[in-house]
Amino acid sequence: MRQRVPEFFLGLGFLGIMTTLYLGMNWAPSVSINAFESPAAQRIFYWHVPSAWAAFIAFGVLFIGSALWFFKRSPLGWRLHVAGTEAGLACGLMTVWSGCVWGAAEWGTPWDWSDVRLNTFGLLTLLALFLVLGRQSQPDGVETRDTFSTFGLYSFILVPLTYVATRIWQIRHPGPVIGAGDDGGSLQSSMALVLLIGALSFTIFIIGHMMISMRITHLEQRLEQAQKSLDGGN
Amino acid sequence: MVVSRPNARFDVGLQTRNFMAESLLSLVDLEVRRGMGIVLTGFNLEVKSKDVVVLHGQNGSGKSTVIESCARLLPLEKGSVHHHGSLVVDSEGRRNLAKHPFGLTLQSNGLLGDETVENHLLTVCALSEMTTDILPMLESYGLAHRRHDRIGQLSGGQARKVAVLAGLLPAMLSSEPRLVFLDEPDAGLDENALATLVSDIGKLRNAGHAFIIASHHSEIMQCATRLHDLEVERKQEHPDGEKWNAVGIEEKSGLLSTRTGHRYLRSTRAGIARNGLTALLVIGTLLAFIDPSSIESQTVLFGFILAPPFAAGLIGDPVIYLMREQRAVDWWRAHVNRLPSAEFSAPILGFLLATLGCVLFLGETNWILSLIGAGTLWTTLACVRFIELSTLRLARPNAVFIKLLVPILILPWALVVEYSATM
Repeated sequence: MRQRVPEFFLGLGFLGIMTTLYLGMNWAPSVSINAFESPAAQRIFYWHVPSAWAAFIAFGVLFIGSALWFFKRSPLGWRLHVAGTEAGLACGLMTVWSGCVWGAAEWGTPWDWSDVRLNTFGLLTLLALFLVLGRQSQPDGVETRDTFSTFGLYSFILVPLTYVATRIWQIRHPGPVIGAGDDGGSLQSSMALVLLIGALSFTIFIIGHMMISMRITHLEQRLEQAQKSLDGGN
Repeated sequence: MVVSRPNARFDVGLQTRNFMAESLLSLVDLEVRRGMGIVLTGFNLEVKSKDVVVLHGQNGSGKSTVIESCARLLPLEKGSVHHHGSLVVDSEGRRNLAKHPFGLTLQSNGLLGDETVENHLLTVCALSEMTTDILPMLESYGLAHRRHDRIGQLSGGQARKVAVLAGLLPAMLSSEPRLVFLDEPDAGLDENALATLVSDIGKLRNAGHAFIIASHHSEIMQCATRLHDLEVERKQEHPDGEKWNAVGIEEKSGLLSTRTGHRYLRSTRAGIARNGLTALLVIGTLLAFIDPSSIESQTVLFGFILAPPFAAGLIGDPVIYLMREQRAVDWWRAHVNRLPSAEFSAPILGFLLATLGCVLFLGETNWILSLIGAGTLWTTLACVRFIELSTLRLARPNAVFIKLLVPILILPWALVVEYSATM
């Protein structure tokens, strides 16, 4: 039964995400037509914000895994690094894609190279893509793991930078609506509920994803060890 | 195969320090990983003046690992490496320049195909802050007539001779004992060159220099004073014979990395071929679709002017690109902390490109924009070089998608353009 936990998390998260989409599209109230250029497109936020939240969790796992490998040479750390990278890439792409769709509808342009949050988050996603492709292009070894862990460690600085970017330099990306302080908090309770369900669902989904990813990496390592034994190595 | 000599483990104490003071090289409790395996563990070695240590273990036993660890090329899991009693690399990540120059011949030659034989050997001399007439040495290896040829035009064996000679040169120049690391120096050498090499090793040993050589060749093994298969060591006696007379004349060589980078660029024109051409293509592409006189926005115009220097910078450092050949980067990394680079020529190229952009898009020169163009190219190139160098340790550094990370530079570039337009 314990072996099925990752699949259970994945399935539960998937159901939650579908529920979020349904509620976001059909149940959540519309925003004021005066506040937005394209009010209908705002509903994509119920996908965009939770996937960004899940991406930050994945990048956090990437950081922890990188640190564990780099400082402790922990095999678990490397598995966390791989899982965090893959999950970060998946969620990062979901966030960037949905953001581009909303940007095209609301701002008239899918991307703005001068907006700090867009660029730092875009770089985090590109970094995850770089780590995923890079790992596939290199033989597994301490050189590969050290180099990519270094990237994982130092790139984490982009996570808090992305988080505070709209507070410091609000260029295009909207400022925070949750935890924004006194003059923030423009979110209606039903909207907040859908976002909460979305965040929980994405969190459960991403945990399941990372558990499965870690299992696959572990199996790959065992396979490689078995191949080495057949080769006559140690 | 894991090499372990727990019984010979070094006692790092007063006794060790006294011992190290006499030795030219100390490897203390070395543990090195390559791939997923530990190649060396608990490995200790002391090399003194007049030692010729020949490592002759089987393939994969760690011979090259020992040599590359001595040359500061590999990070250590445990232990430390000392040259002339001073720490050069340890497991804490410290990586200091050796106080005295040393000779190094890697398994890959570490040569640049576009460099001439003479220039490469004079660069090796400059690393020792010395100069000499290299003609007699070239003659002894049958390379005198190839002195002015590019290394890329030589046969494999001739290029190997240049690499071996470059490894021996720091010892040949100096009257003080020097360390020489040679990895499979006999590979590809003809009989005459091999005889000269064996003779030179003997003469240099008698002059007080010390060698670590990885080789299976019987003639090289015969000139060893210590035969080491990385588990057991056997000593061989050699009577003192003819000594090598040092041929070096002291000559200060400041800014060697900068000058070498500039020379590489001058001889290969790689800066123009890679970065300059890219920038010109960007200008051509922009002009193909846009009439500059129809643009009213100052920001857009300035963006067009600063786009070519920025694109040239994104291509990366042309010197680093050249040095990827035959592990030349590693050869340089072993000797210096600052690699040759295009940092000297980059601002000049950036200045010229921005000036050209000003003339084409504004119809006049604007020196401030030209200076900003110089800074843009220099900064962008430095950032891309930093990212590229951080992946050098990988087994296949050319296979990683390093350019995925450079879009982050677009944001600061866009801010510079906006700032320039509001100035």
